[in-house]
Amino acid sequence: MNFIEAKDVVKQYNGHLALNKVSIDVPEQSVFGLLGPNGAGKTSLIRILNMITQADSGEVLFNGHPIHESDIANIGYLPEERGLYKKMKVLDHIIYIARLKGMKKSDAVQTAYEWLKRFDLLNWQNKKIETLSKGMAQKVQFIATVIHRPKLLIFDEPFSGFDPVNAEQLKKEILRLHDLGSTIIFSTHNMSSVEEICEQIALINRSKVVLSGKVADIRRNFSRKLYSVNVTDTMQIDPVEGLFSIEHAEPSPMGGIMASIKIASGVPAHDVIAYLNEHHDISSFNEQFPSMNEIFIETVSNNQPDNIL
Amino acid sequence: MKNLSRLPLIIRHEFMAIAAKKSFIVMTILIPLICLACIGLPWLLTKINTGDQENVAFVDKSGRYGKALVDTEEFHFEDITPIGDTGLKDFFANTDHLYAIAVIPADIDSSLSITIYSDNAIRHSLQKHIENCLNDSLTQARIQSYGIPELDKILSESKAEVELNCIKWTDEGDEEESNADIAGIVGMILSMLTYMFVLMYGAMIMSSVTEEKTNRIVEVIVSCCKPIELMFGKIIGVGLVGLFQMAIWFILIIIASTIFGIGMISSQPDMMQQTAQIASTQETQEIITELTKGLSSINFTEIFICFALYFIGGYLLYGSLFAAFGSAADQPSDASQATTPMIMIMVFALWVGIACMENPDGNLAWWCSIIPFTSPIVMMVRLPYDVPVWEIVISVVILFATAVATTAMSAKIYRTGILLYGKKFSWKTMLKWLK
Repeated sequence: MNFIEAKDVVKQYNGHLALNKVSIDVPEQSVFGLLGPNGAGKTSLIRILNMITQADSGEVLFNGHPIHESDIANIGYLPEERGLYKKMKVLDHIIYIARLKGMKKSDAVQTAYEWLKRFDLLNWQNKKIETLSKGMAQKVQFIATVIHRPKLLIFDEPFSGFDPVNAEQLKKEILRLHDLGSTIIFSTHNMSSVEEICEQIALINRSKVVLSGKVADIRRNFSRKLYSVNVTDTMQIDPVEGLFSIEHAEPSPMGGIMASIKIASGVPAHDVIAYLNEHHDISSFNEQFPSMNEIFIETVSNNQPDNIL
Repeated sequence: MKNLSRLPLIIRHEFMAIAAKKSFIVMTILIPLICLACIGLPWLLTKINTGDQENVAFVDKSGRYGKALVDTEEFHFEDITPIGDTGLKDFFANTDHLYAIAVIPADIDSSLSITIYSDNAIRHSLQKHIENCLNDSLTQARIQSYGIPELDKILSESKAEVELNCIKWTDEGDEEESNADIAGIVGMILSMLTYMFVLMYGAMIMSSVTEEKTNRIVEVIVSCCKPIELMFGKIIGVGLVGLFQMAIWFILIIIASTIFGIGMISSQPDMMQQTAQIASTQETQEIITELTKGLSSINFTEIFICFALYFIGGYLLYGSLFAAFGSAADQPSDASQATTPMIMIMVFALWVGIACMENPDGNLAWWCSIIPFTSPIVMMVRLPYDVPVWEIVISVVILFATAVATTAMSAKIYRTGILLYGKKFSWKTMLKWLK
């Protein structure tokens, strides 16, 4: 079942079409990646999903019903542009946001302490936010985003500005929340994190969804029939007409040769393996799935206005 | 708005955000102190002056008016007529205890002029004192020169002074005493209060909005609540801060003036006597009775109810506009630029208000007390002059209707404005957001 669903959402700003019949389905308890170049409409879509703005047409279903004001207590949102009340104390800030999300004060205080402890920020609870380092301030904002235990978490570029150690800690926390039952939407350009943690994606370009589905399926669909082959002998691998061609070959640092080969269309992989096995000593044979990064670039550049017209 | 549960939270937060600031606390305490200093300093300065008596010498060539110069706490006069008026400069230079030398010419009866020499700028108080002393004596001398017996008595008896009693016929046919001066002052004070309050706290709303926008916190907040809640929370929160601050000032001023007043009197027992003496004079009593009569002729219940209404209406009207301008600008400087026309309208209103004291029933005053953008200021000045109830009702209704309309408009602009970055402020885009 889909936890949140956008159906044919249209949004226009001052004559600029920000979202053109955008539909996405985010299954319950999934990690969903919302991808797209800058200005594609991701933030516009997120703002509609968490009711900051209204769609001109189309609808948003939350947990099966049209989204309602009371649902925002179940959403946690970390915007790309981070903002905090700089003059406020850490604990006060977290509690204020938590209470705006409908938490009771005692509950908010207790949960805030738990999170501050988890991020090793307990000593900073009564310090003003402006005195914190950037990384610490971002952690405070993360806590304020998740403190009310929302069922849906929306992160807009969550890792930007974090050093690798803190980014890893943050990722762990996000995945822990996912394990605890939260549905997670990532909006990001960081494709390696998408491959790593997203189960499903939607790619938005020029106000439209141009690609969506499971990450594994998408990568398979974008297969270019490229395989990497490692052989232990040093005999040159020759291309075979009608069977495969050589994209690239070089001596392997482990000894032997490694090559990238492209299998001709309609030829099953095992035919190629059989051929190679006859002439060489194969140590590995893998399909080279395109990275999400390559898929992203390919899809977006194929979707430029020149190609559409 | 269906769900208002978050509004108190926002109001509390906005209130604390300003009221807990060090600068706010400092200003709240400092401003009454500055006010007191402004009142107290001149008094203190005169005290310092009277500390040391200055010696003033005089050469009386007329031989009659020297004795008219009487000593005061500030000046002591000594007669140096025998020295003559030549070589005064050298005499002055060789005598170090002298502050100034006055020369009364022999023909002062006709020339009416005397000269004071000093190596300093001559104090105004000395000039005044010598003038007063000589004026009296010279006048007396002139009266006597006519040779008419008891002329001075005749003159003082023939002095006429008219007392004005202003009676206003009310619609019920009663007679009512009205006192334009006191009414005008009360109205003006209330009007100034509204003006200052709206301007000061309106600007605070605006800077609070712009601050949230520039540090991007606003996106988080509006994902928790509706923009309109945030805007109202701000307007109400900042308004409460203002009322709180005014209450503190009021209390501080009362406390301070009590202490100050007691201190002033107890430090000077003879002054207390003086005050008692003055109070017993008939003139002062007349003033006091007139004052009480004037004050009692003003309907304070009506004025304060209206003040509350105009105050709230005016604050809402301008406060919401300030919020809208704050949301439309990226930079605080842009926002304050955009509010210039608004501030000009308010200054104009204040100007009309002042002019209104002269002619509270004039055309300009009438229209400006109906037009919602000026009515909170202008009507407050007119009110003590008994404005017909229907006029007040119409003016208040229009004010609140406009306040509701501008709030709705501002909410629309605010909703769009706070989430839009990188747009330079322009009236055109703001009008677009209204659609």
